Amino acid sequence: MTSTPTSGGTTRTGGEPTDATSVAGPQPDAGPQPDAAAYLAGVMAEIDAEVARRRASGELPPALERELDELFLEFSPVGTRGSARLRETLALVDGAAYVDTAVPVASQKAAGAYVKRGIRKATGWYMNYVVHQVTRFAWSVSRMLHVLVDHVELLEQRVDGLRPPDVELSVVPVGSASGEWWDGIVVEALAGVRGRVVHGDCGDGALVEALVGAGVDAYGLDPHDDAAEAAAMRGLDTRGGTLLDHLEVVPDEALAAIVASGSVQWLSPSERDRFIALAASRLAPGGILCLHSASPIGWERTCPPVLADLAPGRPLHPETWEHLGARHGLRLRGVHRGGTDDRIVVGDGPALPEALEALLSVVNDRLLAPGEYLLVAERVQ
Amino acid sequence: MKLAFVTPRYGPGVIGGAETAARMLAERLARRPGWEVEVLTSCAADHLTWKNVEAEGVSSLNGVRVRRFPTSSPRLLAYFELDGRIRVAPAAASLEESRRWVALNGPMCPGLVDAVAGTDADVVAFYPYLFATTVDGLAVCPAPTVLHPAAHDEPALYLRAFRQSFSGTDGLVYHTRAERQLVESVFPVGSQPQIVLGLGVDEPNPPQRKGSEVLGLEGRPYLCYLGRVDEHKGCGMLAEFFATYKERHPSDLALALVGPLSGPAPGHPDIVATGTVAEPDKWDVLRGATAMVTPSAYESFSLVVLEAWTVGVPVVVNATCAATMEHCRRSGGGLWFDTYASFEAVVDRIVSDGGLARTLAEAGARYTDTYYRWPALIDRYAGFVERIAARGPKARLRPPRLANVEGGAAYVREH
Repeated sequence: MTSTPTSGGTTRTGGEPTDATSVAGPQPDAGPQPDAAAYLAGVMAEIDAEVARRRASGELPPALERELDELFLEFSPVGTRGSARLRETLALVDGAAYVDTAVPVASQKAAGAYVKRGIRKATGWYMNYVVHQVTRFAWSVSRMLHVLVDHVELLEQRVDGLRPPDVELSVVPVGSASGEWWDGIVVEALAGVRGRVVHGDCGDGALVEALVGAGVDAYGLDPHDDAAEAAAMRGLDTRGGTLLDHLEVVPDEALAAIVASGSVQWLSPSERDRFIALAASRLAPGGILCLHSASPIGWERTCPPVLADLAPGRPLHPETWEHLGARHGLRLRGVHRGGTDDRIVVGDGPALPEALEALLSVVNDRLLAPGEYLLVAERVQ
Repeated sequence: MKLAFVTPRYGPGVIGGAETAARMLAERLARRPGWEVEVLTSCAADHLTWKNVEAEGVSSLNGVRVRRFPTSSPRLLAYFELDGRIRVAPAAASLEESRRWVALNGPMCPGLVDAVAGTDADVVAFYPYLFATTVDGLAVCPAPTVLHPAAHDEPALYLRAFRQSFSGTDGLVYHTRAERQLVESVFPVGSQPQIVLGLGVDEPNPPQRKGSEVLGLEGRPYLCYLGRVDEHKGCGMLAEFFATYKERHPSDLALALVGPLSGPAPGHPDIVATGTVAEPDKWDVLRGATAMVTPSAYESFSLVVLEAWTVGVPVVVNATCAATMEHCRRSGGGLWFDTYASFEAVVDRIVSDGGLARTLAEAGARYTDTYYRWPALIDRYAGFVERIAARGPKARLRPPRLANVEGGAAYVREH
């Protein structure tokens, strides 16, 4: 049984987020090279600054800009996807709220303009009356929308202030590319399951591959797009993304099993609750949840300091997961402990003093014992 | 392996991203040893009229067996009335109303649907999601199915009538990650087998003439747009932006709109609209451009962006288009605009900074070479189809066929 010393705080990614070179199989360079990305960001920042300068200097007439931007928005997918570009869309409403009764009277025919002007004049009293009411209604709606947008923005600002920041992928250390101590247990636990099995934080897809090899209909997700893409190039069904987000787009009872590893350990408390509820609802009756995590003590011992400090949540004891799962109909099947085992074993030599043995036992348990576990639970019928 | 594609229109004369993509895949797979590929399609060539123009029956095109079936009704004016009504809140439209929209969108092709129901193919691939042939075909298909949605963020995607198509298919093939995200935000299809594939780029034709010569621009620099010149593709907006740019920044810069015209060409002395051009001319025009602009917000892949990079030309894209933005962000090969002001600043910069244009184009070419070359793409697609075939068809609900909408005036193309 082997494990990497840092597996308590890692994903199964086989390379740094922007470095796919250590991943087995074809080596697509998924994103731009880091310098290309930085270059592009720099150029777009300069362009944004230039736009701001032109606006501030007045060389771009606001009326002209507004007219052209309305044209742009007319051909943009705004309005169908929620709050995107709220202010810009609101500007469209404002622009359309005024109804002009001065109908153009130009005509290609000589008498046409006179006739049109006559009609406009004759119907002016009627049109003005109707348009006045239409415009009042439009302005009332526009005013109400402004109030709503102000409220929405304030709420977003407050909610954003309460939200724990995401952990940057770059601070997540890289684990083993394949062959974790718990892989075999998962394959054994899922042998013969019928239906789709998802592995969250699948890294280079080693476990997905092992499951597929064992006849399991498995697919994987990894927050590092590059790692998922490299695995997909090998013919695996792997995709970029997090397990939590993915479970949102899976129908109820659609999965035969869920394997959760890596970032499940440092979900914030609210995300953790959401995860366990989603996992239970997406599992078919009899479906299996395999959850790999560092133990709280193992986390303290092996987690890199930056991740330990920035992570919004902390690993739980397996008993706590069992407790949370039970609330959603998940019944514990078993807990397997593993990871690096550095416990000091006293040989056949002379017996140690009792006090020293007790101390050694504490050190072994606290500092040197395996610091990871794999919890296996089943959704009850 | 016997693979059947179902697509509303098919043929080299059909201008349409999804239809072209289906043909690209079909022709390449047909050359694969042990693969037999057929296409089930309509006799129509124009998606706005669905007028039967091709001969009904079996023919062969570049190694692909093509079976054509006549459409049973032209597009009716009633489509536009219904479309206008439900596009404001498409998700709120009833199932019945949304199925009526699909039937009116067409093409209604009963013979094609019967053929799908009786197919002996190992896998049937439907392309794209939007049409009646896909909705009805998926519902009756006895074989495992693959859906290429070719979806973008348009009101129709939110119609209930498409739910069964997405949830009932055995596999999904996306053009981009952005398309996958979009589809998953609308339909709960995350657990279905799927790949993000995209399309491959052909080797460009060797240079024959200078692009400005093809366009009659006598050596002037130019921006170019490639594709259907259509208001919905943002071409009107681009022409307006460009005209304003020229007013504010007088120079000899021109704009070339290269592709079939859906309406009158913009009347501006610095804008050239070529209409459809021959393939060698297309590559010459693209190769000579200062930059290629795609103003459309509704693209599901945009092959022309990759083609531009292949010949060393940077691109400028609409920032609200998820697919082209994904290409630019992942490659570092293009700039984007989301207002007139940013369009102006981007064009200024790309026109005046040759080093920037070169750097962007090189980054785009690297990205294209890594992901979008045909042999590797076809291998991946073939592997995916084989896996779908091996899984067999899943049990699915089989909604009744769409009802043909009878009566009413037919739409007549003005141009």
